[in-house]
Amino acid sequence: MSSVTPKQKAAALSTVELDRRAALKLLASGMALSLASCGKPPEEIVPYVDQPERLVPGIPLKFATTLDMAGYGRGVIAISVEGRPIKVEGNPRHPASLGATDVFAEASVLTLYDPDRSKAPRGPKGIASWDAFGDALRTQMEKEKTRAGAGLRLVSGRITSPTLLRQIDGLLKQFPQARWYRYEPVSDDNERDGAIMAFGRPLTPLPRIGEAAVILSLNADFLGSGPHQIANGRAFASARKADAGAEQFLRLYVAEPVLSLTGANADHWLAIRPELIRNIALTVAATLRGEKANAPLPPEAEHFAAAAAADLKSKAGKAIVMAGRAQPAELHALCHTINNMLHAPVDLIEPVDPAGKHGEALHAFADDLSNSRIETLLILDANPAYDAPRELGFKAGFPKLPFSAHLGLYDDETAAICHWHLPLSHTLESWSDLRAFDGTASIVQPLIRPLYDTRSMHQVLALLGGALSPVSYDLVRETWQPRGGDDFDSWWRQVLHDGVIAQTRHAAVSAQPRTIAIKPAASPAESVLVLAPDPSIWDGRHANNAWLQECPKPLSKETWGNTLSVSSRDAQQLRCATGDVITLKYKDVSVEAVVRVTANQAGGAYATTLGYGRRKAGAIGDGAGFDVYPLRGIDEPWLMSGVTIAKTGKTRDIPTTQGQFRLEGETTQFLPRVSLAALAAGLKGPPFEEGPKPTLYPPVQNDDPYAWAMVIDTAACIGCNACLVACQAENNVPVVGPDQILRSRVMHWLRVDTYTDANGGIQGFQPVPCMHCEHAPCEPVCPVAASVHDREGLNVQVYNRCIGTRFCQSNCPYKVRRFNWFGYADDEEYANLGEPPIKAQHNPDVTVRGRGVMEKCTYCVQRISRARRNAEKENRTIKEGEVVTACQAACPTRAISFGNLKDARAHVNALRKEKRHYELLGHLGTRPRTTYLARLINPNPDFGEAKS
Amino acid sequence: MSSLALNRIDTPPADTERWVLPSGQSDEAVNRIVSAPLLQPHKWTWRAWWIAFAVSGAMTVMMIVSASWLLIRGVGVWGNNTTVVWGFGIANYVWWIGIGNAGTLISSMLLLMRQHWRASINRFAEAMTLFAASIAGLFPILHLGRPLYFYWLTPYPNTMLLWPQWRSALIWDFWAILSYLLFSIVFWYVGLIPDFATLRDRARSNLPRKVYGALALGWRGSARHWHFYEIYHKAMAALAVPLVVSLHSVVGLDFAASLMPGWAETIFPPYFVVGAMYSGFAMVVVLAALVRWGFRMQAIITVSHFDVMAKVMLMASIVMGLSYATEWFDAWYGGDHAERSLVTFMFTGSYAPIYFVMLFCNVLAPQAFWLPAVRRSVFAVFVIAVIINVGMWLERILIILNTLSHTHLPSMRHLFFPTIWDWTLLFGSLGFFTFMFLIFVRLVPSVSMHEVRHILHEGAQR
Amino acid sequence: MPQIFRPSADTIARILLVSILIGPFVAIGIGYAVTQSPYITGQNITMKQPVPFSHAHHAGDLAIDCRYCHAGVEKSAFAGMPPTTTCMTCHSQLYTNEPMLAPVRQSLAERKPIHWQRVHRLPDYVYFDHSIHVAKGIGCTTCHGPVGTMPLMRQHESLTMGWCLSCHRDPTPYLRPENQVFNSDWKPPADQREQGKKLLAHYLIETRHLTDCSTCHR
Repeated sequence: MSSVTPKQKAAALSTVELDRRAALKLLASGMALSLASCGKPPEEIVPYVDQPERLVPGIPLKFATTLDMAGYGRGVIAISVEGRPIKVEGNPRHPASLGATDVFAEASVLTLYDPDRSKAPRGPKGIASWDAFGDALRTQMEKEKTRAGAGLRLVSGRITSPTLLRQIDGLLKQFPQARWYRYEPVSDDNERDGAIMAFGRPLTPLPRIGEAAVILSLNADFLGSGPHQIANGRAFASARKADAGAEQFLRLYVAEPVLSLTGANADHWLAIRPELIRNIALTVAATLRGEKANAPLPPEAEHFAAAAAADLKSKAGKAIVMAGRAQPAELHALCHTINNMLHAPVDLIEPVDPAGKHGEALHAFADDLSNSRIETLLILDANPAYDAPRELGFKAGFPKLPFSAHLGLYDDETAAICHWHLPLSHTLESWSDLRAFDGTASIVQPLIRPLYDTRSMHQVLALLGGALSPVSYDLVRETWQPRGGDDFDSWWRQVLHDGVIAQTRHAAVSAQPRTIAIKPAASPAESVLVLAPDPSIWDGRHANNAWLQECPKPLSKETWGNTLSVSSRDAQQLRCATGDVITLKYKDVSVEAVVRVTANQAGGAYATTLGYGRRKAGAIGDGAGFDVYPLRGIDEPWLMSGVTIAKTGKTRDIPTTQGQFRLEGETTQFLPRVSLAALAAGLKGPPFEEGPKPTLYPPVQNDDPYAWAMVIDTAACIGCNACLVACQAENNVPVVGPDQILRSRVMHWLRVDTYTDANGGIQGFQPVPCMHCEHAPCEPVCPVAASVHDREGLNVQVYNRCIGTRFCQSNCPYKVRRFNWFGYADDEEYANLGEPPIKAQHNPDVTVRGRGVMEKCTYCVQRISRARRNAEKENRTIKEGEVVTACQAACPTRAISFGNLKDARAHVNALRKEKRHYELLGHLGTRPRTTYLARLINPNPDFGEAKS
Repeated sequence: MSSLALNRIDTPPADTERWVLPSGQSDEAVNRIVSAPLLQPHKWTWRAWWIAFAVSGAMTVMMIVSASWLLIRGVGVWGNNTTVVWGFGIANYVWWIGIGNAGTLISSMLLLMRQHWRASINRFAEAMTLFAASIAGLFPILHLGRPLYFYWLTPYPNTMLLWPQWRSALIWDFWAILSYLLFSIVFWYVGLIPDFATLRDRARSNLPRKVYGALALGWRGSARHWHFYEIYHKAMAALAVPLVVSLHSVVGLDFAASLMPGWAETIFPPYFVVGAMYSGFAMVVVLAALVRWGFRMQAIITVSHFDVMAKVMLMASIVMGLSYATEWFDAWYGGDHAERSLVTFMFTGSYAPIYFVMLFCNVLAPQAFWLPAVRRSVFAVFVIAVIINVGMWLERILIILNTLSHTHLPSMRHLFFPTIWDWTLLFGSLGFFTFMFLIFVRLVPSVSMHEVRHILHEGAQR
Repeated sequence: MPQIFRPSADTIARILLVSILIGPFVAIGIGYAVTQSPYITGQNITMKQPVPFSHAHHAGDLAIDCRYCHAGVEKSAFAGMPPTTTCMTCHSQLYTNEPMLAPVRQSLAERKPIHWQRVHRLPDYVYFDHSIHVAKGIGCTTCHGPVGTMPLMRQHESLTMGWCLSCHRDPTPYLRPENQVFNSDWKPPADQREQGKKLLAHYLIETRHLTDCSTCHR
């Protein structure tokens, strides 16, 4: 890990002074932050010179804004205290959020305060000013004007912002010869081409998962992380409601080479070589046509395909087939045909991202580079030096460029080889607009003045156009002026308040797919490498975010790096075991990777994720994992057949938060899976038992108005980790770093347990916060009464009383308590997490715990307390839904419910009466307040021997 | 008058020859043998003592360094993790406090049971108790996350209006250790007074005379003094027995009063008491052998002493074996899944090898004591005693590691790997113990002269 | 054999023995006294402020309502400190050239806030909320003392946890009618006990919850 230079430190410090005065203008440390350290020097109160209208110090404000996920917009409500955004929550009005968030949205506040963000422009001769850049740019653009921008090239990631597109459009009109190259490392070219094959134009399919009764996913990870995850997750859960009945209840078939989050939620899962997946589609298509398929498949796969096909046919009209981004265009086209035959509930919309193929852009870019046609290169928040495919010969072509500038949050790999690096404003610092995956537009509004001397992409593009001091706010308003109409300002206010712009969703168009003949694949001989975006850091752009780095991957529970997963069968042949370091060779490139052996993978397929092995990400991201981009080709971004593996003899420990454990015998009670039939028949025996266990303790009964409880529906949980990161953001949960993880030390208050069944398949996901037991084993053992019950049934941990005997944790059957072995948040932070900017993210309503103190989930007691105080001021009791815990708010599938058992109408009461309701380790008599609903599965009764 | 008092204590009369060899068969001889190391040590003894002193001193420094680093950097320097939150700290504590039990057992129980042979070993056994107990007392504090606030365990008036939480076994523990320590100090010191007087009278130079004189509190050995002394000593002995039993029962409750498989067992208190007595006796044997050899006390610490102590250890080892068997049986008979899988884990899990070594040390090895030849070979008894001490430490650490690392929910199962700081503190504490003991034998009569003299008088009176 | 000790040695020995017995108790007593002393609590200590603002003058003589400057007190946990502009509403007219007020004028001119010294300071793990207290009939002066008579602000109460609990366990002696909360010279009536009980019901105060740790610590 590269540490932070004193200069950077100094910079960070000074900027914090600056931002406190300029941007925050808030009441100083004592008021703003609550740090669990005492004996500080006399404290100051620094009032405003002129207090803003709405702002009352101590009362958080909420603003609707939009965050960027791979170029697509995700509406959020940002919570700001004294001018500091400290937390984001979902915006119910926004189609890509629906009131929920994902890990990336939750972690965005940490990026905002990341000490490694670049703070000032850097020119050829070191630190420079924007004016200096302006001058340099002007002279360069003068040259470009003379040749109509023949040498001008813009490189960016996906752009959906109407304003940005408008600006780029204007720019390209101004310089007709100029070119704009748009590419995303996680491209959707196959999907796009498939649509073009089928419909003649790049229509984007939007499956209405909520209406589906059967889904066959062909390597499509629609529940995995990405711009669609939240919406898909919500729809998926709603289609699998227990009360829906067997006819309506969604059944999910997944065929894929490597277990994905979607696969982990499947009723029938098939591990199969990616090349052979098309044969499944062909079989299905044939069956639907009533023909005999001539696509050879292994018997197991054939069985799977047949069953799936039959099921799809029988549920026509409510059946969908999806193909993954890694699958070839033909398969996507074929799926369109199949869906058409099935009358599948799939909307087709015009592409939200208007630019063409990513691959073409890259080819053209490569071509320009090699023929040195580029005079003026502007890289807008992209990082080709790191993530561009190998053909680009990026570093080779680069030094020849006369003028290159990089705009981005970080002084990263690309910035390092550009003449200019320009610091970009964070999304929470700037005005802009974005479109969601379905086209819905929404405004991005800043919650804080830029912390550093940064500019937005709008401003930089305007500079290019020749503007002198452009203002993003005006540019964005300009874009929407026509739509806003006469009374623009009130329209604008409404739009800002709602966080979405009405009627901007792209209307569904109807189109008939052509039938294209595709040949079946022969079973391949060579091994294939399967790449996918990383569930924690996506394509690497989030690599310097410590929350995301430490967020355990949903299936492998790895942190701080990636691994090469190898099927157990191959592992035996290669004689390699988990932790072995091997060299992965493809064509002439080879990469050192760490092996993780897994049962859930097709033989002959190796898999790993993008985004690691960053070289200039920052103090957090550098050196974590290994980089597989060099293996990537422009036209083979996902599958590389012909990779070879050679052992190096070295081994490396993988920082994982939990090992893979089988649930057998009694242990299946921890996470029971029940079929619809079993549910209908009624659930007998443990863990489904009625009535409380006998106890010697007096019953916990009082006439207080509140008894808080949480019910977690494991059937709805898709294991996305949003709750985990949300909890971390809300409760100032510190990051411990890879070394501590390797020593089995974690801090996450809420963990998501995954267990495997006898076949090694994922049994399901189980979020485990504190159980807030009514008979809490942790309480009687604490010698200083730091672990006590309050009148509302909360099992509270009093940090300032705790002396760290750890008796509570040793006696906790659920092991949900977390101990500060070091001052993880108290002067012994990991890497640069102790620097001043980070402190600005802390939630002032939650104590930052010091060294040697036990901590744990509090049911977000600060939120309960706030609600109670508000209610008491109005002389009423807290209403249902008034207290929403951070994890509950984040959950895309609404798997977590929280409420007051004393309130008869409370949702938790209803859930606790459900047949699937059970207590974790209830037989111990702890009477947990956090309880669970059993996982529901819906296997095809006609499937025969399922999942062998 | 005084003889009356004596009769009341030590009837029936002792078979003196077994416990004191002819070469020590006189008051003068006893006094000479015992006070020699203090007042006029052999050259040879000197050298041996100094070497030992230097080594143990170095280890003490090591302990201080380790502890300081612990306090500076935080308890995270140990190997403990989120699942196995307890580790060496607690194991060492339980082990030391166990050793700390034997001294009082010997001097009080044996006294009440009229085992005169205790006379020649109880003094340094009590000293051992004192040092072991005070070292044991250190560990729970060092193990705290915020050692600074250990005093919150005491009920003292404070501006927070807060009191300790009396349901916690740790509080009971705190008081058990504290009262036991205070008791041991007083008991030990009072037992020393007559000997201090003897030293005062035998000391040639002025300084020893003054120091021992002050410590003797003006003891003149008058009948009245003896009278009060005996009454007091017996009363204290009577008090000691329940105290020493309760002490380790409470330590056992630290685990028994919990919800964890392998801990929540009713046999823990008695099982811990016996274990404590067991390891304590083993440690006494080790020290007895060293004192005997180092200070040439063959005359008053005889082979017979080792013989009887070996018998005691044999008995204890059998009881330990029974306790282990009970654990296994309970787990199987109780039928609770967690308990059963824990026992399976003990025998087949990651710590199984250590577990088997432990069983060998504590149950198998001492069976050699069935043979009189072994019992009467000081060396053999010494070696086996050392083995027992190792075994008992392994038992303590396994009680913690097995249960904690094999917790209810598989998802949180993690193993414990000790760090350098765990080891340095363990061995450092051993060094510190030796260090203090060496100082003790140089400044204080390591055998109770007046009690040995009593035995002689008993013999004489027959 | 010569005497080793003089007769006085006995006395010394006895004194030592006795002091071993009582020593610990004395130590605890002293410790307790110290922790309650202003040296630790900061009670009744006045600090030097950038501007010698007199509550005696403003709140006392001029009887300006507390909420005029501490505007957040009814809405927020933090009572709020007046922004410079609040001072200047009057002082742009009155004492406009008063040297004492130079820092205030300077603050406005340079748009730089005034740095006041915090007088009432609770540990960071204590989450005190002004708004709920005033809403439930706890007056300003109950905790802040006779502010109207203080030329310079000082901490009137000890602010120890014990002090908080004394009221949280039984608020009745301190509860005021709604209209008296901001009255800086309110005196409890003779029948405060009865009044308090009535008010307790009136404000719907749930006393048992008041002593939960989670009420103040999070």
